[in-house]
Amino acid sequence: MRTSVKKLATAVSTSVALMAAGQAAAEIQIGIAGPMTGPVAQYGDMQFSGARMAIEQINANGGVMGEELVAVEYDDVCDPKQAVTVANSLVNDGVGFVVGHLCSSSTQPASDIYEDEGILMVTPASTSPEITERGYELVFRTIGLDSMQGPVAGNYIASQNPERVAIVHDKQQYGEGIATAVRDTLKDQGVEIAMFEGITAGDKDFSSLVTKLKQADVDYVYYGGYHPELGLILRQARQADLDAKFMGPEGVGNKDINTIAGEAAEGLLVTLPPAFDQKAENQELVKAFQDKGEDPSGPFVLTSYTAVQLIANGIEQAESTDPFEVAQALRSGTFQTPIGTVEYDEAGDMKSFEFVVYEWHSDGSKTPVN
Amino acid sequence: MQDLLYFSQQLINGLTIGSTYALIAIGYTMVYGIIGMINFAHGEIYMIGAYTALIAITGLASLGVAWLPVILIVALICAMLVSSSMGWAVERVAYRPVRGRHRLIPLISAIGMSIFLQNYVHLAQGSRNIGFPALIEGGFNFGSGDGFQMSLSYMQITIFITTLICMTALSLFIARSRTGRACRAVSQDLGMANLLGIDTNRIISATFVIGAALAAVAGLLLGMYYGSVDPLFGFIAGLKAFTAAVLGGIGSIPGAMLGGLILGVAESMTSGYLSGEYKDVISFSLLILILLFKPTGLLGKPEVEKI
Amino acid sequence: MAAHNLKHALFCAIITIIIAYPILGLNLVAQGTSVALEGATTATVINVFLAAVAVFLFQLFRDSIMGVFGKVPNLNPMAKRGPISQERRLLMERVFFVAIILLALVWPFIVSRGAVDLATLVLIYIMLALGLNVVVGLAGLLDLGYVAFYAVGAYTFALLSQYFGISFWLALPIGALLAALFGFVLGFPVLRLRGDYLAIVTLGFGEIIRILLNNWTTLTGGPNGIGGIPDPTLFGMEFGRRVKEEGNVSFHETFGIAYSGEHKVIFLYLIALVLAVFTLLVIRRFMRMPVGRAWEALREDEIAARSLGMSRTAVKLSAFTIGAFFAGFAGTVFASKQGFISPESFVFLESAIILAIVVLGGMGSQVGVILAAIAVTILPELAREFSEYRMLIFGAAMVLMMVWRPQGLLPMRRIQIELKEQG
Repeated sequence: MRTSVKKLATAVSTSVALMAAGQAAAEIQIGIAGPMTGPVAQYGDMQFSGARMAIEQINANGGVMGEELVAVEYDDVCDPKQAVTVANSLVNDGVGFVVGHLCSSSTQPASDIYEDEGILMVTPASTSPEITERGYELVFRTIGLDSMQGPVAGNYIASQNPERVAIVHDKQQYGEGIATAVRDTLKDQGVEIAMFEGITAGDKDFSSLVTKLKQADVDYVYYGGYHPELGLILRQARQADLDAKFMGPEGVGNKDINTIAGEAAEGLLVTLPPAFDQKAENQELVKAFQDKGEDPSGPFVLTSYTAVQLIANGIEQAESTDPFEVAQALRSGTFQTPIGTVEYDEAGDMKSFEFVVYEWHSDGSKTPVN
Repeated sequence: MQDLLYFSQQLINGLTIGSTYALIAIGYTMVYGIIGMINFAHGEIYMIGAYTALIAITGLASLGVAWLPVILIVALICAMLVSSSMGWAVERVAYRPVRGRHRLIPLISAIGMSIFLQNYVHLAQGSRNIGFPALIEGGFNFGSGDGFQMSLSYMQITIFITTLICMTALSLFIARSRTGRACRAVSQDLGMANLLGIDTNRIISATFVIGAALAAVAGLLLGMYYGSVDPLFGFIAGLKAFTAAVLGGIGSIPGAMLGGLILGVAESMTSGYLSGEYKDVISFSLLILILLFKPTGLLGKPEVEKI
Repeated sequence: MAAHNLKHALFCAIITIIIAYPILGLNLVAQGTSVALEGATTATVINVFLAAVAVFLFQLFRDSIMGVFGKVPNLNPMAKRGPISQERRLLMERVFFVAIILLALVWPFIVSRGAVDLATLVLIYIMLALGLNVVVGLAGLLDLGYVAFYAVGAYTFALLSQYFGISFWLALPIGALLAALFGFVLGFPVLRLRGDYLAIVTLGFGEIIRILLNNWTTLTGGPNGIGGIPDPTLFGMEFGRRVKEEGNVSFHETFGIAYSGEHKVIFLYLIALVLAVFTLLVIRRFMRMPVGRAWEALREDEIAARSLGMSRTAVKLSAFTIGAFFAGFAGTVFASKQGFISPESFVFLESAIILAIVVLGGMGSQVGVILAAIAVTILPELAREFSEYRMLIFGAAMVLMMVWRPQGLLPMRRIQIELKEQG
């Protein structure tokens, strides 16, 4: 039964691919789906530049099994509705492999379609645990989960023996997810949580929140969300002489936070994947990015690069472009990538994805905290 | 004692943001008072004012100008100039041709203009949040050493004073000057004012220009107070300011001031005593409640149905 | 006159430079940790000045240019024709509906999957726009929070299926009725407000619903949304590759055909089509019933209508409730198409787009609204290369449309009785 379904799927996907591609028999299409426009386009840029670079380099080295990789790019604006449209056009275009999507809320509805249609998806950026919780066969990621990052931050805060901790988040899937994980970790460690509260993403006035934090007399504030809001909170907290240590996830670890918060960004704690672009073995790659005038330091550039590389490696190991067989190969293999050694568990998550606590400085640099 | 200080601090926070809502709300209320349309693009004009101010400040910084009053005045003038021109042009392009048509037509045109301007700035300046330098720092501290310390920053004082000056000047202008009198005449009866020899087109243009200039003032002040600008923030602020204008009674300038302050205080009290996530729910519910009991807002004149 | 024109043209040109140069020509860029100004490319600066010159020339020769434009419609052979007779117009409308429904029926079998999926989205927008058309176009009530009822429909289905395992077919009427109930409850107190006050209150209501959905994490999943919403079944047959629910069978196995993801997409499309046609016919019926006439009467002249004994509240409330009902309908279909919903699908911009469809199509006109829904949904897809400029163009198109053709693509015509000429 299982194999017949698989055969059917292969037959369908290859016939669709043949119909759609026609002349392009010696090509493997890789879809890149993410936001090219819209409010989070800057993160989309990271995704696209990483994936494009990987495809370029793989092709320069003779492609995959002698075939060339072709990038097919789709813009989902990080809107769930458009993500479904994009997923359907991917099916249409006979694309077998996708690098994407970026926002968890887009990845989730799109992955339903990919799973049904036999398209292998590797998301370089979506951290919501739910995406890989549904027992899907063709869903992978090259980034850690909110549920991995939260405990790292929570354990760090607990280790500093704080008296009172406030947790603030931006009521988005990403921010609230991590904030919840941090709260649970802290609760397990018996740390008193003075406040667990949401703010409105896109808001600019945090004076009331800062006053409240002051009143609650907290010494640690964990913020789950992105840098625009945290930058303002830091700045307004400094203005009001709030004396607390702030901490955030990788969504705030971005040089833009310095332009907003200025001096107030000094001493901010951030959990980040280890800075892949600082690794010695990646320097050649970093230089390739810099030669193209692109910045490889964004959190999703190299994860996206790795997503493409993994697909290519998977195809080579499976000696087939059938997404199901490639998925099998990814689950069983061990791969050397710019983000480290990658092994997958049944769900499609990496067996280990490390997060490190960094201290951020007002000149935009960061140092690891021990 | 500590609770009282905390309350006063939240009150100050609320009044600060409320007075800037009021500055933006003036633009809505004047336009509505005169031609009876909701200028949805007003929030974007405010955003453009903030961007221009930031461009001017950055430009002056790169030229090496460091004397604060010069920076503030040049930024203010640039922001007011660009915003007013924008206000004038928007009226000319999008509203004048549709004036007097079914009341949905200007509204749709305004929503379209709002989307257009948002994306214009987005395409030209990018979607990222850009930091706004804090030019006025520091402040007074009150309160006891142990427990809660209340603070009133110089920036907040600047905002209060500027708002007060703008409001007074505007009220005087409307009450005393020739143009102001003409404005009032036009808002009473556009056709009649026209017959009496008032150049109504000019008066309407003037309304847009004045509203836009005040929005630019708010843009500069709030940019410095909060600390960043992005192409989408005008829309949210515009929505709040419009709510404030309706709350106070649209068409009434003291109403805009009152509505802005009430809204600001309601928001900061909600964040202070309840939770920040319900801030917008409270302000919109407040609006619905007030309109239910006073359908023309707090200071609005009851409308007589004309036959 | 010429001097005045020159002065005005110069003024306009200067304004153009003032509003374009600082924003376009001076870009704020983050350099490391500080913000710096960067001049734009020379091309941009030249373009700004060219734009100013164009504005100058246009304003200078405005009268003669407008004169030329004034003559253009005469080139249109249709321009001088009188209005077509009522019977012919009704006939044409009927032919149009039949033709478009026939086209819609064969559509999924001749085009690709992506196009079918897009067409489903178009149908959802048609339902929404037809529903809002009742409120805005016919009853003249400006509703800026229509998306709230859409959200109620979508969330009703999602929650019912999550907590009680209720299927699409049962959730469809429940979602629509619940949305209608929301419309009724909201409408009751607010409908006595006049035009623009109503607009802002409905806008506030739409935001309140969205924020509540976002904050009520225990029930609605908050920003995580609700996933795993089941697809509609056909007499207990599922369209997925694997059967998800006990007791159901799969479509492709029952009929012994190969599994294809297209079946599901096409089935969903056909459901949406049936519901859209249903919406169309029901509202068409309403328009000709006394209540439909009452909506229009109240829109045209409230005082006159009231003095004829109409109950203002009852008439407005009926329009509001019926509009909300169909939004709930569309919401249920949307939820099952997406399989996952979250509050970010129900933002104000969505309300604005639906309103734009109604206005672009011609308020009150069903044919126009259908055409506009197709245009507004498909054009951005066709213009994907311009995706960056998509919203810019959308905004500009809204303004230009209002300036040049405010009555919409196909303005509504009322059915009238013509008196025969005597003689």
